[in-house]
Amino acid sequence: MESLSNKFNEILSWERRKRCEQTLALLACATLALAILFLPLNGHLPSDWLRWTVPGILFVVLAPWFFYRARWRHQNDVRAVAALDRELGLAECAVTAWEIAGGSERSGAAHLVLQKAEARLRNIEPKLILPRSLSWPMYGVMPLLALWLALLWLDFDRGTSEGRHLVPRALAEKVREYSRELQDRAKGEGLRETLKFGQELEKTAQKSLDQRAPEESFRKEVASLGQKFAIPSGSRQDKSSFSSGETEQSLKDLKAELEASRSLQFPGAAKGSEEANQRWMEQLSNLPQLKRQIDEANAGAGMGTSELKAFLDKLDRQVTNELDRRALIDAQQYLQQMTKQGSREQGENYARSGANGEADPTGADLHEKSFSNLPGKEPGKRDDDFRSLPDLRVGPPAQVKGMLGAGESSGLMLKGNPSGGKSTVADSEIVASYRRQAEQELNSERVPEDLKEMIKNYFLSLGEAKNK
Amino acid sequence: MQSVEEIEQRIISARRTFDELRAEMARVIVGHEKLIEQVFIALVCGGHCLLEGVPGLGKTLMVRSLGETLSLSFSRIQFTPDLMPADITGTNMLTDDTSGRKVFEFQRGPVFAHIVLADEINRATPKTQSALLEAMQEQSVTVGGKIHRLENPFIVLATQNPIEMEGTYPLPEAQVDRFFFKLLLEFPSREELARIADLTTSAPAAGLREILDAAGILQIRQWVREVPLAEVVKDYAVRLVISTHPQQKQGNGSGGLAQRFVLYGSSPRGLQSLILAAKARALLAGRPNVSFEDIRSHLRPSLRHRLILNLEADAEGVTAEKILTEVAAQVPEVE
Repeated sequence: MESLSNKFNEILSWERRKRCEQTLALLACATLALAILFLPLNGHLPSDWLRWTVPGILFVVLAPWFFYRARWRHQNDVRAVAALDRELGLAECAVTAWEIAGGSERSGAAHLVLQKAEARLRNIEPKLILPRSLSWPMYGVMPLLALWLALLWLDFDRGTSEGRHLVPRALAEKVREYSRELQDRAKGEGLRETLKFGQELEKTAQKSLDQRAPEESFRKEVASLGQKFAIPSGSRQDKSSFSSGETEQSLKDLKAELEASRSLQFPGAAKGSEEANQRWMEQLSNLPQLKRQIDEANAGAGMGTSELKAFLDKLDRQVTNELDRRALIDAQQYLQQMTKQGSREQGENYARSGANGEADPTGADLHEKSFSNLPGKEPGKRDDDFRSLPDLRVGPPAQVKGMLGAGESSGLMLKGNPSGGKSTVADSEIVASYRRQAEQELNSERVPEDLKEMIKNYFLSLGEAKNK
Repeated sequence: MQSVEEIEQRIISARRTFDELRAEMARVIVGHEKLIEQVFIALVCGGHCLLEGVPGLGKTLMVRSLGETLSLSFSRIQFTPDLMPADITGTNMLTDDTSGRKVFEFQRGPVFAHIVLADEINRATPKTQSALLEAMQEQSVTVGGKIHRLENPFIVLATQNPIEMEGTYPLPEAQVDRFFFKLLLEFPSREELARIADLTTSAPAAGLREILDAAGILQIRQWVREVPLAEVVKDYAVRLVISTHPQQKQGNGSGGLAQRFVLYGSSPRGLQSLILAAKARALLAGRPNVSFEDIRSHLRPSLRHRLILNLEADAEGVTAEKILTEVAAQVPEVE
């Protein structure tokens, strides 16, 4: 009977092993299925590489429950031996013998059953009689694994996540776009530092996009770049004589006036001539910003041509530097806002776009929002303490084709009499602005070269007639 | 303790005896092989059978032939409405003894035989029907305060006609429960009918040979009880019986026909019958142990008369057969 007991042990060990394999397969299936289901939550993981460990963690967490649930019980022994009977057509001889072998009854009939069972089971091979059956979890493991890997490889978890991993990518793209616009502007206006900053910023953003760097590291890089280009406090007075009261617009006007002054007739050219001085003063009266700067510097009529040119060159450099400095500060402030508020706004924009992986349509949205949402700033009201953010080109407006028809309006229409208000912009600035526009138009190619002087004189004569 | 060889020998002997009996019966009974096996199983298990079938199917002939082949005494009681209990059990008669004194002497009734054919048992009154109760259960009759032992082996083979219900008295549940099997006689097939015509319209066959005597039957009855039964097989039988009860869920946990149409499920006697019959079947098949199939094959004869169905079942034409078929299909062999 020893051999019969050994044979039963062999059969039951094989069945236990099969059960274990099936449990593992089921566990693996459940783990992978859960990992796929939880893919959108990968964005909440503290580190990027952790998303590769999700199935492993789930496996370890679920394993005790699965193995407890599928633990081997006495009833499983019975089932296994009964299955053997069924396979061999033993009419329950094996299961009866197994029970007799495990009990104490040893009647003649019991011995006969044991003998018959031993004779039938002696040469059987459990693996052949009760072969491993491939259940659905065994078939399902590999496809699920492949699916999970594919989804991870395709960044499905990033694409669907509203979490943090989506943000750096969109943020980096925005920063890259912004840096390009910044460079264009800097090139146009000759802002060297801003141009350098824009180039560095584009490199950083591109690197982050290429390496799919996590959010934190990208933010750190942007911050360190900002520190690298940071302008130390107090340096402004050293490099420029412009007060904080000078608006950017006035500086730009000054810059334009400086450009226009290159073509003026300097008084030094006709030194001692009253007429030349008179003409110079008339010309200066059309350039209010420049005139103010000359008056403040106590320069002008007393200077020679070369001295005046040197003064204007110096002034030009100072204006350019100041504009460069301000553009840099603006850019840094804008980046700071973008990196701080980017996550939340990107999330909102993303949610609005239907969570289908679209990038936020324009960076201008963010810009405008940050501009108008600043606390305590009424729209349209100028405040010297507030430094406007740099203008960004938003590209051509989108055109939607379709039939025009009546629709519901969501706007609120208010009717009322207009009331007069007090402008906070000085008349001189407005006049200077119009003058600058007129000069630009006059210098454009649309006006024939031989008529330019005549038109200019005509307008100057109008001014003279008004003065009289 | 008997040796393995002896056990093997007796299994072979029992099987050979049964095969010979079946062959001998086949000389006069056409078809009904399954029925003959079940009657023999009831005999070796010490049970009684209720045979149900329309007249003319050979019930009486079969029982008589069985008595001849088994070398057992046989008596037939035709149950009628005016049959009295004393007509079955016997009665005390006033007779003269050797000294000429008047004494009561017990005159044994027809129940004192090894094989009793209770023909059309449902035609007698319940009072007369119940005269068989003690005989069937205790294998004795009590007359005038005195217990008289019946023959051993003792088997009652009662018949009833399922279609002619007028003027009949359905057997009470207590009486029906005492039958080991309820067997249904089916109409013979075309080939069987042709053979019946040949057998009954030609020269009568020679007398049947005696195959087994009373001692042999009692010996086999002992062997049947020694057939090993695995716990898992016994558990299967128990679950089958339990599943006939309306309070119990069936194998798959869903409410089946038993829940809807059964008023009372099988009694414990049903389980005893099921297991003993399975053991006898295994022995007669030459196997040393009971199988699930042994249990399943005797589910209907053992339990069909023990299920009491409700009026809804009667209205919808649901029979015990149908319910038991569903139970057998739904209860798993190993839980």
